[in-house]
Amino acid sequence: MLFPRPNSSGPPRRVLVTGVGIITALGRGWADHAEGFRQGRRAFRPVRSFPVIGQRTSIAAELDLPPHLPPTYLSPRDEARLDRAARMLLWAAHEAWTQAGWTSNEQPLPLVLGTTSGGMSLGEAFLRQACSAPPNRRGQATRVVHYQAQHQALDLMKAFQFQGSTTIIANACASGANAVGHAFELIRQGHADRVLVGGYDALSQLVFAGFDSLQALSTTQCRPFAADRDGLALGEGAAVLCLEAESFARQRGAERLGEIAGYGVATDVHHLTQPQPDGLAALATMTAACAQAGISPEHVGYVNAHGTGTPLNDRAEAAAINQWAGHLAPQLPVSSTKASIGHLLGAAGAVEVVVCLQALRGQWLPPEIGLDHPDPLCRFPLVTQPQDQAFVHALTNSFGFGGANASLVVRR
Amino acid sequence: MSHSVFISGIGVVSPAGWGVEPFRLARTAGQPLPRHELPGVSGRTGYSVHRVPPLSPRPPYLGHARLRRSSLVSQFAVGAALEALGEDRSRIPQGELRLGVIAAVMSGGVNYSRRFFQEVLVQPSTASPLLFPETVFNAPASHLAAVLGCAGRNYTLVGDQSAFADGLALAADWLSQHLVDRCLVVGAEEADWMTAEASNLFDLGPTSEGAGALCLSREPHPIELTGITSPIPYVTGTPTTSDLPEIPFDDPKVSLASLRPVLGEGFAAAGAWSCVAAIQDVATQPGRTVWAQLHGSNHQAIGVGFRSVDRSRPGE
Repeated sequence: MLFPRPNSSGPPRRVLVTGVGIITALGRGWADHAEGFRQGRRAFRPVRSFPVIGQRTSIAAELDLPPHLPPTYLSPRDEARLDRAARMLLWAAHEAWTQAGWTSNEQPLPLVLGTTSGGMSLGEAFLRQACSAPPNRRGQATRVVHYQAQHQALDLMKAFQFQGSTTIIANACASGANAVGHAFELIRQGHADRVLVGGYDALSQLVFAGFDSLQALSTTQCRPFAADRDGLALGEGAAVLCLEAESFARQRGAERLGEIAGYGVATDVHHLTQPQPDGLAALATMTAACAQAGISPEHVGYVNAHGTGTPLNDRAEAAAINQWAGHLAPQLPVSSTKASIGHLLGAAGAVEVVVCLQALRGQWLPPEIGLDHPDPLCRFPLVTQPQDQAFVHALTNSFGFGGANASLVVRR
Repeated sequence: MSHSVFISGIGVVSPAGWGVEPFRLARTAGQPLPRHELPGVSGRTGYSVHRVPPLSPRPPYLGHARLRRSSLVSQFAVGAALEALGEDRSRIPQGELRLGVIAAVMSGGVNYSRRFFQEVLVQPSTASPLLFPETVFNAPASHLAAVLGCAGRNYTLVGDQSAFADGLALAADWLSQHLVDRCLVVGAEEADWMTAEASNLFDLGPTSEGAGALCLSREPHPIELTGITSPIPYVTGTPTTSDLPEIPFDDPKVSLASLRPVLGEGFAAAGAWSCVAAIQDVATQPGRTVWAQLHGSNHQAIGVGFRSVDRSRPGE
């Protein structure tokens, strides 16, 4: 039963990451990304997936999908129906599942996903065809079904032969972080021993045009926290994590890649698309995540900022970090990896957890190359060159439209 | 420590009108509510849907800055939520009551999304920046939080009719962890010709719009949430049986199909309406658990049970 849950007395459980999968414009898999993030590589190019004529910019961190999918239980017919976003999700899930060494047909396995758009490209195709003359309904039923995020969840269950509860969180750009946070809470509270969790979003014409209409896209180069920043750059991809209770992971001898140690969530009611200028909701989530992890700012060795590169967002986040870190701010390294892979919207939070895991395992900090003129509002040092760093905890922030704010603490 | 969860309030916006009572009367009458033709692209017809009647006079909350240009789905969500919340609303901005908000949607702000993308297809550079922010799934939940001045937990869940039950399970978790004192769970949808076009492909019947809301609390109230079954995901097709194994055979049930002839197919809102209907039926069947059976369109089947609490019995 989802309610009442089995009685889960006892102290909160520790939540380990035992499998990770990632696909972005930097490449596919752990190794591509560890190297790319460590060097601060940028992965932008002119968009090829859809027309961008007449818009203020044509650049995004668009990835090249491999021609074939990884081996799963999906039939060729199932695979043929997957849209771009579902394919990314499948690639990331396959890597995580394989790395964790999970097998099919075990106990019910909860699935938690974050996305803003699901299979948006199919939704767009549906509307294009619905508006065409003469009316043509060929293929439309398939588009309707596979556009919806719940079908991508079902495809994932079918691909790896598991079943369980599904939670699909659509909290705008915090969706991925909320998904990881929710999965963390399920295990921590004893409601599940394992959870498959991830975030995914593909570039789409609607979303690209939407951010362009708001004049939120950079027309130069996405430079989070630069004094002369002029907007964000969109990206696409997916990240999937296998989370397990520490006792469960130990029992089966799983390799520990890191730990999710704290989660904070709050809502900024200031405006639908603009943060409260002092970043009060962000401050609340950072404080709450650290409190749950039992740490204070002095224990955090790196902050992976939300850092979209828009003037208002970065200003509010900088204010929040300044206040949260207090006198420690001048010693707290911060960067935004959106400078490398763009803003992955519903995938961003999950992808940035993976960045933190990689940085913690390798003991390095991901730089934002080419950030020459940091905004003087930032009292904290921005990582602008590859550098090694010994640290135990990283904090990652995700903030979205609608005032969705979330922070996660990742422990080595 | 008790993990009991109670229903402190319910709210409905439906084609029957704004409020729980018009919904109850429409269910009792059992007659199909009027339908309206939605114009499609290039004057196409065939989109006969159940609409929510306009609210007259407009209540003050619809004049809130967030709702003046929001899509209907947000207005429905707020209407149902405020009814469910009742007088507790005044305790939120002061921080006296920590409120969680969970919205469940299937199509969400489909009207603004469709209009925005149609503008993009014509000329991207002139597509309206007023429309785009309202296309995000969590716009209704965000507007609701803003109207209430609620800075706490706020999730939007996507799925079919069963997503509302997922929302109730999440709310129960938040309450049991003492993360919130109350939690609003709202299912909401709005009608659009594009949704009607999609539904026609599956013979779902006329589509509908509106919202339903439950407010959950740990403090005792006359109606208790007794159970939410394990979901049965449609991984290998839709279950042929109408029963969920965790629901006792003899317990009374409300199905989505029982509401459809009257209200139309309201997707995530229908998930909420089914739960409200089950709660209304509890009053007529004292001592029994009434289940809302949410066999969703394309995701999963799940059941939600409610019963009245007999306060004359020790321990109740």
